[in-house]
Amino acid sequence: MAETKNKAGVPETLIEPIEMSSLDASFRNEIHSMPNGEELSACFACSTCTAACPIANQWKYKPHQLIRMIILGMRDEVLSSSEIWECLTCFQCQERCPQNVRVTDIFFDCKNLASERGDIPSSIVSLAKELLEKGQLYQVTADWEREDLELEPEVPGLSIEEVKSILKNTRTGKIAGDE
Amino acid sequence: MPSYNLYMGCSVPANYPNYEASMIRVAEVLGMELVYMEDVACCGSPNLRAMDYFGWLVVNARTLAIGEKNGYDIVTPCNGCFGSLKDVLHHLKHDPEDLALVNKELAKMDLELKGSIKVRHFVEALYTDVGIEEIKKKITKPLDGVGIAIHYGCHLLRPADVTEFTPSILDELVEVTGATVIEYPLWKQCCGATVLPINEPLAIRLARDKLKSMTEYGAVFATVVCPACGNQLDLQQLGLRDSYNEDYNLPILLYPQILALAMGMSEEEVGLELNRVSADSILDHLSE
Repeated sequence: MAETKNKAGVPETLIEPIEMSSLDASFRNEIHSMPNGEELSACFACSTCTAACPIANQWKYKPHQLIRMIILGMRDEVLSSSEIWECLTCFQCQERCPQNVRVTDIFFDCKNLASERGDIPSSIVSLAKELLEKGQLYQVTADWEREDLELEPEVPGLSIEEVKSILKNTRTGKIAGDE
Repeated sequence: MPSYNLYMGCSVPANYPNYEASMIRVAEVLGMELVYMEDVACCGSPNLRAMDYFGWLVVNARTLAIGEKNGYDIVTPCNGCFGSLKDVLHHLKHDPEDLALVNKELAKMDLELKGSIKVRHFVEALYTDVGIEEIKKKITKPLDGVGIAIHYGCHLLRPADVTEFTPSILDELVEVTGATVIEYPLWKQCCGATVLPINEPLAIRLARDKLKSMTEYGAVFATVVCPACGNQLDLQQLGLRDSYNEDYNLPILLYPQILALAMGMSEEEVGLELNRVSADSILDHLSE
């Protein structure tokens, strides 16, 4: 272990340098004004959220980095990241944040902004279509199982028409229609 | 005994009629009057919240407003529905601007949300309104102390200021049946259900982490109170044989199934044959 690495040459960096001119300062304000985004700027980058996250080990951008990237204004990097969609929504990060930053809720805000500009995984687009066409996520396929248990064969009391008509006029309609 | 607005959502009726039937039966014996809500919508799940926040608000506010008409608490057996309804109600109670926007949409359906309704998970209503002492009186075939691991599920526990759920309720509800609660390190960890449509291998890994932790700490059975968690921990075990070459063979019971059996109901009444990993061995642990 006496050998040391040659220190000459370009030093290694852990992350790519940030291009200051490409930062978008309005991104932080936008998230700040969205549901539960108020505490965004209270983040002091302690990375407790990342320590709490069960899947951060396989992410390029860790939860605390994503929050920092929002504050810096790295709109495109955050909104086109796969990380925000892989969030389990388990709320462990948010629950443990010592600064009350609502990390999971903020990732929901990011997903809404990403959806608005069309950065949305195809499987989620399929779910949007499913909701618009069927008015529910799961249909009864084995009604005999229900009847064997003396339950009504169909989903009791479920209204599908109202869901369709509500979501047709909100972003779900846009997402499903864009395809 | 109180009446409740029973909100089933879509997943339990479609995928877990055994959960629905066992819940209805224990409620009946314990004097809880569960009345199916009429004309209510699917909650849309966290996926709807992710892509269409306002649509998610309106869909769930509509369900809440329908519940407010008779004033009975809304009770649901699904953590996903619970999370959606609780979060939407919490948000709208704290955001008068969004409440006004949502009510403008609801007015078109002759509905209005005031915010007086309460949303509860079935197990919390069972615990609080019936109580452990009353449940105990109905236990005729207690379990023999067999070890059961509990998976509460994320959207029941967190965010705690929204869900207002005490994470010891299920421990007491399992213990009253005569079973022993198995503590395991990953008890608070996610089952992986939400990420299933986005990254299936990741979802499978998360289910595996849970099952591994449960079995390593001595669980003979595990219990869940959510169809999505049930899907992950029960059905995914079949997939784990292929993906990880691992066989956990850990039966996953919906909590009311355990309670119903300990109250003397039959395996047919709780739909035991519908559990994907055979759970028939629970019958061997019931006292006669």
